[in-house]
Amino acid sequence: MDTFVIHVFNALLYASVLFLIAGGLSLIYGVMRIVNLAHGNLYAFGAYVTAWAVGQWLAGAPTVVLYLLLPIGAVAAAILGAVLEPTLLRPFYRRAEEYQLLVTFGLLMILEDLMRFFWGPYPLTATTLFEKMGSVKIGDSIYPRYNLLVVLVGGLAAAALWGFIYRTRFGVVLRATSQDMRRAAAMGVNVNRVYIEAFTIGCFMAGLGGAIVVPGQSAVLGMGVDALVLAFVVVVIGGLGSLQGALVGALIVGIVREIGVSTFPEVELAVLYLIAVIVLLVRPAGLFGRAA
Amino acid sequence: MPGPVTRRDLLAKLGVTAAATFGASAAGFGVAGIAHAQDKAKGNIPDKPFRIGHMTFFTGPGAVLGEPMYKGNLLAADEINSHGGLLGKRKIEVLKADEAAGTDANVKEMRRLKLSEKIDMFMGITSSGNTPALGPAAEELKLLTIFIDGCTDFLFDKAVPNPRYVFRVTNIQSADGSTCAVAVAQTWPDVKKVAHIHPDYAYGRNCYDHFSIVTKKLIPGAQNVSEAWPKLFSTDFTPHITKTLAAKPDLLVTSVWGGDYVAFYKQALQHGLFDKMKVATTLALGVAPHAIGKDHPENVLAGVHANYHFSYPPGNRWPLNKSFVEKYKAKFNEYPNFQAEGAYTATYILKTAVEKANKLSGGWPDDDAIISQIEGMMFAGPGGYVYIRPDNHQGYKDAITGFSKNTPEYPFPILDPARIITIPIRNITAPPGWPKGEPTSTYTWIDQTWPTVKHA
Repeated sequence: MDTFVIHVFNALLYASVLFLIAGGLSLIYGVMRIVNLAHGNLYAFGAYVTAWAVGQWLAGAPTVVLYLLLPIGAVAAAILGAVLEPTLLRPFYRRAEEYQLLVTFGLLMILEDLMRFFWGPYPLTATTLFEKMGSVKIGDSIYPRYNLLVVLVGGLAAAALWGFIYRTRFGVVLRATSQDMRRAAAMGVNVNRVYIEAFTIGCFMAGLGGAIVVPGQSAVLGMGVDALVLAFVVVVIGGLGSLQGALVGALIVGIVREIGVSTFPEVELAVLYLIAVIVLLVRPAGLFGRAA
Repeated sequence: MPGPVTRRDLLAKLGVTAAATFGASAAGFGVAGIAHAQDKAKGNIPDKPFRIGHMTFFTGPGAVLGEPMYKGNLLAADEINSHGGLLGKRKIEVLKADEAAGTDANVKEMRRLKLSEKIDMFMGITSSGNTPALGPAAEELKLLTIFIDGCTDFLFDKAVPNPRYVFRVTNIQSADGSTCAVAVAQTWPDVKKVAHIHPDYAYGRNCYDHFSIVTKKLIPGAQNVSEAWPKLFSTDFTPHITKTLAAKPDLLVTSVWGGDYVAFYKQALQHGLFDKMKVATTLALGVAPHAIGKDHPENVLAGVHANYHFSYPPGNRWPLNKSFVEKYKAKFNEYPNFQAEGAYTATYILKTAVEKANKLSGGWPDDDAIISQIEGMMFAGPGGYVYIRPDNHQGYKDAITGFSKNTPEYPFPILDPARIITIPIRNITAPPGWPKGEPTSTYTWIDQTWPTVKHA
C-alpha cells in the first residue's frame, strides 16, 4: 500500500515539473504562435540561477533566506524572457515560421554555452533545501518532504494560471489576442505589450520549473534540451496551445512513466513516445488541441 | 577446470588484492616514466611546433569528463614545452575540437584537422560511441592517435581489430562491471538479491552484462530482483529508487555517473536507500571527485571506472602521483580524475616514444618509429604502471576500485586508503587470440573459461 502511495507521489512530482515547463511552452504558442525551442534552456537557466544563489552565492545564509531565494531562478528567467522577446523575437513575427524556429533554436544553443561559460561543466547543486526538509514516513518507507513541496507548487501554479487567464481582465485580453490577434489590435489592445507579457509569464513558469527541481536533482548541462523534448511530448499529447492540454498531458506522462519504470524497465524511454504516437494517430491536434 | 573450486581459490587466481600491494605487475619490464633530464637529442630536430588535435566534450553534459581530459593534456604539454618541447625543440600545440558535434561530424573534423590543420597526432575522445567510428578513420588517414577513453571493448574487438596507428590508454569498458562484481564477491559474498540501476546506453548495458556474468561465476546464489534503466543524463531517479526499494534487495549495483550520480545519491539518501542495502557503483568517485559531498555514505563500493582515483597510489609510495595531483590542483584548482590522468600519461607516452626513437636513429623520428616505441611500452604514470600491448594497442593497467570514506584532509569522500582493491587487468579481460564474441569477447571468455565456485 505504502509503495502505491509513493508511486502516486512520484507521478505527481514528475507531472508538476512537466506542467510548469510544458504549460509555459503552450501558453507562448497559444498567444504568440511561436514554437519557442529555447524554452528548455530557460528552464535550465532557472535551475542554474537558483542553484548558484542557494549553493554558492549565499551558501552560508540562514535556511529561511535560502527558501525565500528559491524562486530567484524563475524571476531571472522571466527577466531574460522580457529582454529576449522585444529584441530577438519581435523582428521575426512577420517572417515564415522557419525563421522563428531557427532563431529560437540558435538561442537554445547560445544559452547552453552561456551557462557553461558562467557556471562551468560540473553539476551545480542546491541540495540544502532538499535535505533540510527531511523525509516523511509513509508506512514502512520514508519519502522526501521536498518532493511534496514540488507537487504543491505545481498544483498552485496550475490554479494561479487558470485564475489569471479566466478570472482577470488581463486574461480576457490575452485570450482575445490568442483567438484573433488582428481584431484584438483593432479593438485597441496593445498587442506588443500582450506578447511581451505572455512570453515573460511563459519564461517565468519554465524558470520556476527549473528552480523547484534543482534542490532535489541538480543543474547539469543538457538538462534544457531533455526538458524541451519532454515538454513537446506533453504538448503533443495535450494539444499545443492548450493549458488544460498541458495539465492533462503532464499527468498522463507522469503516470505512464511511473508505471513504465516499475513494470517495463527496458522500454522506459520508448513508452512516452509511444503514447505521443498513438495520440498523433488518433487525434492529430492533441487531446485538447484546436484543429488547424 | 576439474573439481569444485572455492571462491577463495578463484579470487586468488584472479590476483585480487584487497590491501594496497602496489606495483607487482611491473616486474621484469624496463619501465619508462615522466622525466625531464634527458640526453641531448641526436641529429637535426626541426623547431616546427608539434600539433595535437584534442577532441573531447567541451559542451553538453559530457563536458564534465571532457574538460579534465583536455586539462591533463594541457598540463603535460605545458611542462614539456617549459623544457623546450619534444626533443627540446618542438613545442606542443594543442588544438581543441568539440566531441559533442556528433559522430559523423567528429569523423569529418578529424579529417579536417589532419588535412587542413596538419596535426601530427590525434588525442582525446570520451564517448564509446565515437571511438569505433574515429578509429577506422584514423587508420585510413594514417594519423597517429591515442584515444584517452571511449573505452568500449568493440573498438579493438571489431572496429579496428589490427590497429597500426590507433592506441588507447585507459582501461577497457568491460573491466568496470567485472571489477565491481569481483569486489562484491570478495567483500559481500553472501548477497542473495541484487537490484540494478544503469543508464540506458552502451556503458550501462556493458556494466550490467559483465557484472552479471562474473557474479554468475563467483556468487552463483545471487539473483536479480529488480532492474531499472533511466535515461542517460537524467537527474530524476525517484521512480527507480521506489522500484528498487520495493524489491527489497541486499545489494544495489549502479553505473550511473557524473551529475546523474550526484542527483541519484542525494535522492537515495532522502529515501533511506543506503540504510536498507549495500551499494556497489562503477563510476561514483571517478568523474569529478570533488562533486561528491561529505553527505555521501561511507562503505559504498565506489568505482572509478576501474582506472584511477587521485588518492591512489599514495604519495609516500608513489611520488609521481603526488606531484601530478599537486601540479594539477595548482593549475586548475580542482582534483584530477581518470581522464586527466589518462591524457597526462598519454602525452608523456608520446614524449618517451619520440625520445627513444630519436636515440635509435637520430633526427625527428617518423610515425612508424614512434609507433614501434609505443608498442609494448611499460610506462610509469601518476596512476601506476600502464603497459601498451603491442598486438591490440590497448593500455593495460591494474583495475582499481575501493570504498568511499570521509577523511579530514578533503572536503569530499575519497577511496578508503586501507581497502583499495586492485586486479591485474589481464586476469579479467579476454586474452589475445580469443575469438570475437557477443556482447564482448571478454564476456564469452568469462562465460566459457571461468569455473563456477561451489562454496566460499
